[in-house]
Formats: sequence, C-alpha cells, structure tokens
Amino acid sequence: MSAVIPLHRVNVLTGIKSARVIEDAAQYANLLEKAKRPLLVLGPLLSEWSLDGKLAIEYAEEIAKAANIPICATAHVKGKMVELGMKPDSVYDAVEIVNHLKDPEWQGVRKEGNHDLVIFFGIRSDLEEQCLSVLKHFAFNHLITMTLDKYYFPNANYSLPNFKREKQWKAFLESLIDSLKKGD
Amino acid sequence: MAEVKELVKQLTRKEQEIRELIKADIPWEPVGPTPMPEIPDLRSWDMRLLKTYAPWYAPFCDLCCLCTYGKCDLSQGRRGACGLDIATQQGRIILLACLMGCSAHAAHAGHILEFLIEKHGPDKKIDLGPFVDLEAPNIRTVTGLKPETLGDLKIAIEYVYREIAHLLDSTHTGQEGAALDYESKALHASMLDHVGMEVADIAQIVGFDFPTSVADTPLVDMGWNSIDKSKPVILLVGHNPATSCTLIDYLRENDLYDKVEVAGICCTALETTRYSDRAKIVGPLSRQLFFVRTGIADVIMTDEQCIRTDMPIEADKVDSRVIACLDKAMYGLEEASDREVDGLVKEMVEDKKHFAILDPKKAAEVAAKVAMEIAPQRRKEWIAEEEAIELAKKCTNCGMCERVCPNLFSIGDGITELAKGNLDLIRQQFNLCIGCGKCEQECPNDVPIFKIMQIAASKETWKIRAGRGAVMDTEIRNVGAPITLGTIPGVLAFVGCSNYPDIDDVADMVYEFAKRKYIVVLTGCAAMVAGMKKFEDGKTVYELFPPDFDAGGVVNVGSCVSNAHITGAAIKIANIFAALPLRANYEVMADYVLNRVGACGIAWGAMSQKAASIGTGCNRLGIPVVLGPHSSKYRRLYLSRNEEDDWRVMDARKREIVDSGEPSPEHLAYAAETKEKAMVMIPKLCIRKNDTPQGRSIKLNHYVSLYKKYMGGGLPEDLHLFVRRDADIPLVYKKEVRAYLQQIGWQPKEPVGLPTLIGTYPSKVPLDAVIH
Repeated sequence: MSAVIPLHRVNVLTGIKSARVIEDAAQYANLLEKAKRPLLVLGPLLSEWSLDGKLAIEYAEEIAKAANIPICATAHVKGKMVELGMKPDSVYDAVEIVNHLKDPEWQGVRKEGNHDLVIFFGIRSDLEEQCLSVLKHFAFNHLITMTLDKYYFPNANYSLPNFKREKQWKAFLESLIDSLKKGD
Repeated sequence: MAEVKELVKQLTRKEQEIRELIKADIPWEPVGPTPMPEIPDLRSWDMRLLKTYAPWYAPFCDLCCLCTYGKCDLSQGRRGACGLDIATQQGRIILLACLMGCSAHAAHAGHILEFLIEKHGPDKKIDLGPFVDLEAPNIRTVTGLKPETLGDLKIAIEYVYREIAHLLDSTHTGQEGAALDYESKALHASMLDHVGMEVADIAQIVGFDFPTSVADTPLVDMGWNSIDKSKPVILLVGHNPATSCTLIDYLRENDLYDKVEVAGICCTALETTRYSDRAKIVGPLSRQLFFVRTGIADVIMTDEQCIRTDMPIEADKVDSRVIACLDKAMYGLEEASDREVDGLVKEMVEDKKHFAILDPKKAAEVAAKVAMEIAPQRRKEWIAEEEAIELAKKCTNCGMCERVCPNLFSIGDGITELAKGNLDLIRQQFNLCIGCGKCEQECPNDVPIFKIMQIAASKETWKIRAGRGAVMDTEIRNVGAPITLGTIPGVLAFVGCSNYPDIDDVADMVYEFAKRKYIVVLTGCAAMVAGMKKFEDGKTVYELFPPDFDAGGVVNVGSCVSNAHITGAAIKIANIFAALPLRANYEVMADYVLNRVGACGIAWGAMSQKAASIGTGCNRLGIPVVLGPHSSKYRRLYLSRNEEDDWRVMDARKREIVDSGEPSPEHLAYAAETKEKAMVMIPKLCIRKNDTPQGRSIKLNHYVSLYKKYMGGGLPEDLHLFVRRDADIPLVYKKEVRAYLQQIGWQPKEPVGLPTLIGTYPSKVPLDAVIH
C-alpha cells in the first residue's frame, strides 16, 4: 500500500510507521467496542464545523452516548457543549490531556485506570498531529490512538482518510453512530 | 595522588582566571557561587525544575538523519545506531534550536560591539541615564561582571562564545545520552542568550544614543500607508542597526533626509525608530514578502535574521535592488565592499545588479544614490480592486493552497469569494497569513495570490511607541512590593514573532490585560502587531494605555535583543526590591522569580529558533511562557501534571519542607490551543505561592472572570487548588466559590511563609541566601 499524504503538508510523516486508514464505520465501531476504557478528546473546531447545518460537536455527542465514552473537552469547546446541554467528563487543554495519557499509571478521567484507546476530534491539525506523535512514541505500549476528523493523521494508529467530499465524512459519522447503537 | 593534586591546582587556576575576568576584586557585591557558570554549574537547579516541569516531547520526525549511520528509526522504543533514543534526540534538537537562537543574538552582539568600539573606543562609558543604575542585571547575575565600558561587554560576550562551543560540541554524534542533560544544556544556552541580548542592547543604547531612562518615547508611524511613495524608498530588513543608523547618518549629513523615505520590517524597523522617530515601520515579519512584492522599495538593505532567503530573486521580480550588508546573509552576491561607489551605483542602476557591501558607510551611500536614481522611474502602485477581481477568476478553488499553508487555511476560499466581488473573507484571511508564499508556489493555475491580496491589506496607519530599553530602577522600586504581594496581578511579556494564528490576537490580549491592570511589556514583532489594531476612539494600545512599567502600563522595550530587559526587570525585583545580592548568584535570582514574581511570557506567534532560546531562557529564570498552538512543532514543552506532581517547597521561615499542594506556576512552557484558552491560562500562570490573601484574591478574580468570559461560564475546574483560605476568594464570587468548595470537600491550608526550592535539592546555595 502506498503511503497516504495528509491533507496539511506540515503533517507529512518523516518516518516508517504511519496510521492505518479506516473507511468502514463498522470496523471503526468494532475497535471502539473492544476497548475497555476509551476516551473522546474533543477540540474547539467541532463548534465551527457544520455538516448540512448540524454541528460536528453534535455528532461527537451522539458517538459518546452511543458507546458510553467519557469526554475530555479541550480549549474553549466546553462553552459550546454547555450551551448545547452537554457536560464533559473533564476539561484539559490538548497538551495537558496528552501529558496525562502518556503515563500508564494515570487513573483516567473517571478514576478507573488509564484509558486504552483515545479518539481525537476537532483539534487544529498541526497540534493534533503533534499530540498523536507524543502518544505514538511514549504511550505505544498501553494506548491506541484514533481520529475522527475529515483528513488523515499519520501519527495515529487508526485514521480516517482525506475525505474529498464532506458528505463522505458525514456518511461515515452517521454510519458509525448507527453501528455503535446496534452494538448496544 | 599526584594526579589529584594537579587537578585541584588546575581548577584553582581556572577559578582564578574567572575572578580576574569578572574583576572580582572590585567589591560592589560579594561574588556568588556561580561566576561565569559552565555546563554543570547550574545543572542541579535545572534538574529540580525538570522534576516538576518534565519535558513533553512531540517528535516532529521519527528518524535521526544526522550522521552516516542513519537514517535511524527511533520509533516505539528503538535506539539509533549510536545508542540514542527518541526523547534524547528531541532534547538534542531543542538544544540545537536554542543554540541557533543564542548564536544569532550573540553574533549580533559581537558585531555591533565591534562596530561601536571602532566608532567610540573600548573605554566608552556605559551610562543608561539617571534612573538606571543596575544597567546589566543578566550580565551581573550570570557572569559576576559589572560592565562599565563597551570594552567590558566584550568580556561577557566572549564568555558566551566559549560556552556555545562546548554546548554545540555536546550535540555531536556519540556525546550526550540523556534527554534531561540535553534540556539542562538547552536551559544553559538560553540563559546565555539573555546575556548576549543584553550585551547587544546595552551597546546599542550607549553607542547609538537610543532612548534610556525614559518611558514616554515618541509614538511613531506604522503601516504600509505611512510610507510616502512619492519619495525614493529604502527598505531595511532584519535586526542589526549598524546598517540603518549609518544610513540615517548619511542622509542627515548629506541633507537628504527629507528627500528619502526610510522604512523597516522586523526588528531593524524598531531599532531604526529608536534612532529616528521619522523612520517608518512597515510591519512585522509576516508582511515582508507582501511589501517586497509591491515593488515600492527602490533599494532593500538586508542585515541579519528573519530575512527572506530569496530576497535577490524576489527583488528581481519587481526591479528593486538589494544590498546585503552583513556576512550572515550574502546570497551568493559579489562582495563589493572595496569597490568604488560610483561604479557600484552605475551597475545597480543600469544593470539591475545586487551586491554584498559589508562596509556600512559605503552601503548607505550606495543605497541612497541608487534609490534617488531609480525612484523616478518606479511605476508601481497597489493593485486596483477591479484588476484583483479579474485575476481572482483564474482560481478554481482546487485546495492545493490549503494543503501547503503553515497556518492551515484555504486562501482559495477567499479568492473565490473575491471573484464574486466579496472582499470580506480575504480581508479576514490577510490577518491569518504568515506571508510565506507557499500557496502561490503551489497554485496549478498560477493565480498571483500575493498580488491579489494587496487589496486585502489594510491601508491604515497605526501608532506604536518607540522602544525604550531597560525598565528603570525607579519603576522597580514602585512596583516591587505590589508585584510580589500580588496586588499587581502580573507582569506579562509579549515577545517574539507574531504571525500565528491570527495577527489580531496579540492586540486583543494586550488590551484585555492592560485594562485589568497587569503590567504589559512587549518586544519585537509582537510589539508591532500589538499596535496594529485600533480600539475605542480609533486608538491603538500604545495610545490608550500609559507607557510606564506600572499597573495598566503598555511598555515597548524594543527589539528582539531588548528581551534581556524583561528578564532583567525580574532580576531587578529580586535585587532592588528584595535586596538579594545578584552577583554570580543565578540560582537565588531564579528561585526568587519562580516563587515570588508573578510574571508570564507570551510568545504567541513564535516561529524562530531565537524565540525558542528567548523562551527557554525565561524558563531557567523561573518565568513560565505561553506559546501558540503551532508551537507544539518546537517539539518540547515543560508541563507539570497539576495535582499529581510534587509541589513541595522549603518554607525558609520555618526551615522545613512543606507540601504546598499548589501548582503555581503550573507549567513552564505551554502551548495553548486557542486565544481563548491562553486568556485563561495567562492569569493562572501569574499565581505565586508568595501571594498575600489580598493579592491572591485579585489574581483569582481575574482567573475566574476570564474563565467565565472565554470558557462559557462556570468556575475553573482547578480553582480549589489555588484557594488557601477563605480570604483568598474574590469578593465578587464569594458565594459561588464557597458553595463549590463546600461541594468538593475543600479544606483550608496554611500559606507558605517564604517559599523557595533552595533546600529541596543539592545546591551550593545555603538556605540563608534566600532570606531577605
């Protein structure tokens, strides 16, 4: 398989191990369901991105609810979440939650032990890729990393592809929510 | 046994050499434990810092490509052929970055010092005016030398050069093998950077008679439109004022100053306005390529640092002429310093040639003559709206521009809107643009994006206050107590490049915190962009707020090298206000600043290696720094983990180690994701264990109110960690905070009487040294 080039070229991988692309929502859901203590890290772009009038943060909420995944809100996204009636389980900035996640002894946002899977969604792509780099290098023994943004992140374990059209991304998110609900 | 004796003898001789260099026999203060420290001398202090603020490494590259063993894959626990792991490689790269930054300033200092010693002689006295007796706090603290003449500054800069060689040596393959030791070395390099910057700016102030001992420096014009295009225009780009000051001297001496327009980009613009308030500032680094491509500049004189490396190529596109004035950047041009002026002028005018002219006087004369000759033929104007709209129609919005944009936005969207006659989006995007030109290079339809964007550029003129140099000792006497008690809620230093993520961010932050009576100091491109936004009554922050180093003041101290005055001000608080001796006493100064001076640096748009060393130098001195989100690409932050880290300190009054349980300051180098998050983190990083209840209450008032304003309401999740007693709770939030504290089972705790890290790690410094 030839290497996937990320949408933003500042995130081009200089290395060997790059993320596996997942285009099948059922496969993505399967990975989530296998995890014991997943975590959803939500960034401020989710309150800006809109898919046919529905904010990306609303998709994130549906995913969290469907799979009972705790939410960590980064930057100032908490404000929008509260406005929409959502309550994050924790609030850290992106670099801070990553700093915790890389420690296998950390007890996680629910104090039940560190997470074994983390999904990043809605963080500025250069910062998100760097956060994934931290975990790729310093948490590879205890943590799987995934993304839900509409483009490819080489430093994750699993990433969505660069979707050419927003409707493809929207379809993926909706299908993922359906798959997770079916898994209940 | 004989070998041991010889070793002792060598060390003694070395110490004796240092004592001679720093003129230890002049008893202005006793010589402290670390005169002219070498790599190991402050290592224990670094390790103590790094225990709480551990490096957060985000590798930008999984490989090491530095030697012919490689490339080596360092991912997933692998080591390279030399034995290095990925963390240590990050430490090595960050040390290299800090060394680049330190070298840039130190070489600048060395050059300007030689230039000014040639002009004034080595015995030229250092006199920073009636209100600055403590002229060189960094040099005195680090080296133990009290510089009295320009010649004395050479002693300090030669010490920096020596240390740079040792530090650079450690990055060679097969040397240092521990990440934390590379960090200690990076902290060392960056401390030296502040010595180098201080040498440079003291020399410039003394040698060029820049403002000093004054707050109310002139307000000068800034912006493209401030430039009188009807005159010949000479554009200066870079940092070193030898070129610009000599040019102004030449114009004055030859009665040409009214006839030629002198404008600058980046720090050299700030330096030029310290020499002549008639000089104009085009803008920060991010405006360089835009302005060059307008062709308004007849002659471009470059010196050093942050210059486009393709300047002659860009100049050729618009018929401007380039003179490279310093050996740091010669662009492959013919070195013509020894040639006759007339011949050079003829070739530049007729053959459109560029030259490297390293003699500033000759460069000035050639620049003036060439500009005078070619300006009348210049036929360049800003693009008209109709033409821009027509050119925009070539754009198919294919998205290639977004892919290569370092700031991750799609100029194609703005251009597509422009093609429909809507200028709103492209005007917003101009504020996001860092001016690199990669979008245009990538465009498959050859859309002249930069030319089109001229219509988005604001044609406004703004006011910025000329850089004033050092904070005055008299000001420190006034604010020392309120800063350390906390009643002035913090000293904020906006420094470095300004490009990311939005050029308006810095002005917004300065405005917010100056209104809240923080002391705001600025340098470099950050100082420029702070002035590039108008608030009430059409005024910039420099017109709205007083220029004093006092509550609510907005103080432009100057260029990049003026950053030394910011760390210098922190040291002055320890020395002048707290009366702690500073001579060769770095640990005591840094410990005081970390535990008692509520200062925070903000390098919001930082991109350069110089910004890395400026920030890391602040960190060693105990000043936390907030960076923009892109700065995760520096690869390293210094973060604590809040409640889970070690917040024990020595209470020097009780002489016992106590667990403060308080993460203050929480981080030393932190990348905020958004401006809103930075607005909340900045007041938090100004909290210190030394705050009085009144001071803490004021600081928490700002923390809570900014949290409510930018985070959508509620109380900060970690507020309980910073409330020691009920008296710390801000009056306006008393009810709400008390209810929250009760809900989570908060218990009051004893404030630490005299917090210090001395006594909590191995150090030559006795505990009594921090008691004043």
